[in-house]
Amino acid sequence: MTRILALVWPTLRSGRDAPPGSGAVDVPAMLDRLDDLSPRVEAVDRGVALVDVTGLGPALGDTGDERRIAARAVALVREVAPLPVRAGTGENRWLAVLAARLALAARPDPATPAAFGAIPAGPAARRTLAVLSLDLLPADPATRGRFALFGLTTMGELAALPRSAVGAQFGAEGERLQALARGEDPRPLAPRRRPERLTRRVGFEPPMEGIGGTALLLRRCCAELCDTLRARHLAPGRATLTCELEDAPPLVTALAFPEPALEPDWIARLLLGRLEAAARSRRLHDPSDGDEEPRVAAIGLALDRLSNPAARQLGAFNVQAGRWEELRWSVERLTTRFGPGRLWRATTERPRAVLPERRARLTGLGHDATGEEEP
Amino acid sequence: MTRSAISSQPLPELLEQLRAKGVRQGVGPMAGETAERATPGVRGAISSGFPALDTALRTDGWPRGALALLDAPRGTGATSLVIRSLAAAQEAGGIVAWIDAAGCLDPATVERMGVNLEWLLVVRPASVAEAVELAGWIVRGGLVDAVALDLGESGAALTGELDRLGRLLARGRAVTLLLAGERLRSAAAPVASVRIALRREAWLAVGRDLVGQRVRATVTRHRWALAGADATLDLWFGEGRRIDPLLPALAVPDETAGTATGEAEEAGERPALRVLSA
Repeated sequence: MTRILALVWPTLRSGRDAPPGSGAVDVPAMLDRLDDLSPRVEAVDRGVALVDVTGLGPALGDTGDERRIAARAVALVREVAPLPVRAGTGENRWLAVLAARLALAARPDPATPAAFGAIPAGPAARRTLAVLSLDLLPADPATRGRFALFGLTTMGELAALPRSAVGAQFGAEGERLQALARGEDPRPLAPRRRPERLTRRVGFEPPMEGIGGTALLLRRCCAELCDTLRARHLAPGRATLTCELEDAPPLVTALAFPEPALEPDWIARLLLGRLEAAARSRRLHDPSDGDEEPRVAAIGLALDRLSNPAARQLGAFNVQAGRWEELRWSVERLTTRFGPGRLWRATTERPRAVLPERRARLTGLGHDATGEEEP
Repeated sequence: MTRSAISSQPLPELLEQLRAKGVRQGVGPMAGETAERATPGVRGAISSGFPALDTALRTDGWPRGALALLDAPRGTGATSLVIRSLAAAQEAGGIVAWIDAAGCLDPATVERMGVNLEWLLVVRPASVAEAVELAGWIVRGGLVDAVALDLGESGAALTGELDRLGRLLARGRAVTLLLAGERLRSAAAPVASVRIALRREAWLAVGRDLVGQRVRATVTRHRWALAGADATLDLWFGEGRRIDPLLPALAVPDETAGTATGEAEEAGERPALRVLSA
């Protein structure tokens, strides 16, 4: 018997921002935490996650109390972002999400974070659904109107009709909705693949004077990780370098590549350039550090967003596209050298506008570009 | 390498071989450039977009590695010539850049005159000196075929920077087209490897609308060929909105019909292109 736990974050689902003080919500990190509970986790869309909790009760030290499993899942995701969350369990994904939605209805106080609902398995599920309104079904307004014209108001009434009759009157969509009203959902859980991440950390004893001194080791770390990935026909899309300083908070710099790349020299040079720029910036903003070079206790390199570089072959067929991709490396270098806000790409918006500045829009290039367009 | 050998190779290795051969180095040869690249010492060229000017340059266009100075008073079509040259470079499969130190680039106009914005890198430097430095960096990358360096009417003294840029460009494969005010033009004149003087000869009109100008381009300096030739260029304004649809049919003006004083207009037919003395 399959049991699925649905977690619904209403604030994320409605597109509202995270609560003040919680910062940006790192949804992938929340899903990573759920991996600790079960290996089968699916992110349905923004604000809804499904976890296969079949047989997890004994593993958590009790006899299968689903509320405690849900509480454990909620506690895990709240370590990342303390958002209000509703949980529900059911035999399939439809019933689980419906249970989570009903959990909110059962608790009138929306601020209550531990809302939990469960729809039992087997025939009891159909009995539970029978009294629920048809408005809970994911139907378009036209279909809802036709249900109303036929006098159908609850799921039980729709479920009780012969399937052939529903198909004749409402078509395939009607048959799908009737199956849902009966508590049947054939869609399987599609577990997400946990993003892979390669890391390497090198400590210095005694600490190294200056960031520039780490260049050789950083280059070697990059080469080792790139060799590992090359053997698997993979390439990273992002590199993150953490520089642990002896008597200051660590410096962290991330570099998203224009395309998956296995170029240890470029990766190391760009990371180091950005790290030195970050160190200079910190000295400028915090003169108390003085002019002394920071003492580096360790560096950590992480490569993620892995993908197969052979899948990106557009450049092999379109010369300008391929050349532009290579140009983006130069853009990264120029951004590091000259700072952000220098390199742009133009697109026309209103080519006939009277004012020239209204006709086109410039979009920043380079890793420092925020993606925002010039006003 | 035979077809069977290719098909039996793992894809990543095959791609590496293609990259080593230069397939992924971008456009390798541009149109009409294959022979030149195979011959060391002979530099290729990028079309100016005007066959007459290509002929006058005697190198089939702007020679690669050149710093070309457009010696033109304001309003004599230097910017139009640059835009046409960038469009021609893109048509040949290249990527172009516009270094906009003057801050007056209008991408919509550039696009209307034939430049594909998708392959245009727009650079907004903080100063004129930085613009020159950025031009050197971009050209040194070897991935851009033509660069428009618009320095505006700045009066900054950049002799040293321009000299350095000229030497840097000569080692690269890109063409840099320099647009500058009078003072900077005189500073860049000794450094430029190609100089083109533009002088307006006539206005082009359709009905009562001025739609362009006829310009005489004279090659006053050429580092790799004989200078002195000239060409007549018809430069159309990008803003001739009402008569835009008519222009293609009139793009090759019939001098006799054009100079006739609007007989066709009186007959209610299409207005003819007229050449008005400047």
